[in-house]
Amino acid sequence: MKILVPVKRVVDYNVKVRVKSDGTGVETAGVKMSMNPFDEIGVEEAVRLKEKGVASEIIAVSLGLPACAETIRTALAMGADRGILVETDVDLQPLAVAKLLAAIAAKEQPGLIILGKQAIDDDMSATGPMLAALLGWPQGTFASKVTVEDGKLLVTREVDGGLESVSLNLPAIITTDLRLNEPRYASLPNIMKARKKPIETVKPADLGVDPAPRLTVVSVAEPPKRQAGVKVGSVAELVSKLKNEAKVI
Amino acid sequence: MMFELAEEHRMLKDLVAKFVDQELIPLEPAALARETRGEKMGLSHDEEARLHAKCKELGLWGLDVPEQFGGANLPAVALMAVNEELGRTCIPFFFPPDSPNLHMLMAACNEDQKQRYMLPYASGDKKSAIAISEPGAGGDPSGMTTRAVKDGDEWVINGRKIWVSRVPQVDFTIVMARVGEGKRHEGITAFLVDKGTPGFIIEREIPMIGGQRTYELVFDNLRLPDAQVLGTIGQGFAPMQLRLTVRRLQMGAWCTGMAVRALDMMISQAKQRTTFGVKLSDRQAVQWWIADAATRIHACRLMVLHAAAKQDSGGDVRTEASMVKLVATELAQDVIDHAMQTFGAMGMTRELPLQMMMQKVRTMRIYEGPSEVHRMVIARRLIDGRK
Repeated sequence: MKILVPVKRVVDYNVKVRVKSDGTGVETAGVKMSMNPFDEIGVEEAVRLKEKGVASEIIAVSLGLPACAETIRTALAMGADRGILVETDVDLQPLAVAKLLAAIAAKEQPGLIILGKQAIDDDMSATGPMLAALLGWPQGTFASKVTVEDGKLLVTREVDGGLESVSLNLPAIITTDLRLNEPRYASLPNIMKARKKPIETVKPADLGVDPAPRLTVVSVAEPPKRQAGVKVGSVAELVSKLKNEAKVI
Repeated sequence: MMFELAEEHRMLKDLVAKFVDQELIPLEPAALARETRGEKMGLSHDEEARLHAKCKELGLWGLDVPEQFGGANLPAVALMAVNEELGRTCIPFFFPPDSPNLHMLMAACNEDQKQRYMLPYASGDKKSAIAISEPGAGGDPSGMTTRAVKDGDEWVINGRKIWVSRVPQVDFTIVMARVGEGKRHEGITAFLVDKGTPGFIIEREIPMIGGQRTYELVFDNLRLPDAQVLGTIGQGFAPMQLRLTVRRLQMGAWCTGMAVRALDMMISQAKQRTTFGVKLSDRQAVQWWIADAATRIHACRLMVLHAAAKQDSGGDVRTEASMVKLVATELAQDVIDHAMQTFGAMGMTRELPLQMMMQKVRTMRIYEGPSEVHRMVIARRLIDGRK
């Protein structure tokens, strides 16, 4: 079984994001970029499935600028076998990404696609479910445990009330939650091996997909600054302020 | 001209950064507490064994050992990226084997010594030290007086060495001694001395700042067979110099990393701490420390990478190594000092790594050549080179 693992290049989780002065988005120039941490969990899960003999090949896909090849290279160093870069300078939105991935899935025929539950930049949490809908495949989102038994995929999902277990037919879509696994370090020998693994570059047109944005971003703004608090002199004053100013009691 | 690390070396740097953040920095509080109690700061046997197992698993072993000897054969530029990350922690740790003696052994070992010393050293099975300084010849090693005299088939060494690191833990020590009556570099010869060789006496342990210890050694009719001469008799200075150059570049990278850590801590503190109603990060004095630190770190990193790249392409980098060592140690000293100042009284505690980094960098301005000697050497090369 082939596993397809989409990996997104995002602003590193350690970087404090700054909104561009014109309000069109966040600043990415000169900022450290890394693989979306949830996608890293996806790569790790795929590598574990390969180590267990469930998967035969892992294909890492990234979509966007040529620099996304670096993100693919990281996945290759973790254990993916080859990469596909869908190169475009169009601002890719979840529907476009899902369509492009669906086109790649049609070509590669993977048995499983493992995506991050969300990307830490826009937190849309949309690509996985959209891809499942486009392909007509079952999906196990927010997965905290994945096992393959008798050709079925058992996924434990983290839901509000606790854990939900679902059984899916293959091929299927998984989106990863934080507790699914702890991604490994890419070891030095694997970093060196990754240099020789192939990355194929395709354009959206090659896949027959128009990636043009369907959504318009009106503006991006920093969260409002918190107002400074006030010190009260007594409990009576506190109660009075809560009652009359804050009007919460 | 390339100013960026190759992609795989960037990934290696990221790997080492994770290793430092997740495996080494968490060990700092316990190590600092040990040192405060007067115990050895270094890692316990168990801690080191666990880390070494992790390193082997990650392939962080034998990084600059040639491939035919089982290493990763990485160029100096990649090693600089690795060492910059290692410099961010005050935990004394390196990925075996330590580079300087490796390069000296590779340059000077004959076939027999390669099997007995270089390969076990490269694989991490044997540890080594080097004895260069003497009570009367530190920054100017060519003034050494420890003598080796031929007696039949054997060499007899008499003399004294000081400031030698790690001696009790190592399997062999490279001892530099003078053969014949030559002056300066003439006659300087390297000898391989196994642990426990009669006449090789550890005179005393000298406690140093920076959680370090060095040893004074006495050679009392230390007898060695011819097979223990490392390299050519009388030609020991050049391989030793190569070793020093490797160490100086490594120190440049360590100091860059130390400055990076100190700057990082300085920024965190400046953003948190308010004095007289104003955030430290809003004060110009602190802003200038931050700006100067970042600017000098950038310059230092480029100097280190340039020297390493030149060394990789076969160039002579002795002058650059002196410049790097000088700039890097003084950079780290200043940035750590400003970070301590930013932390105020907290910066004076023995709980923060800053004081330990400060002690370490203070020793680094002395060992492998004091700043003043490097300035002298740089100036001498420039002045003597002018018609």
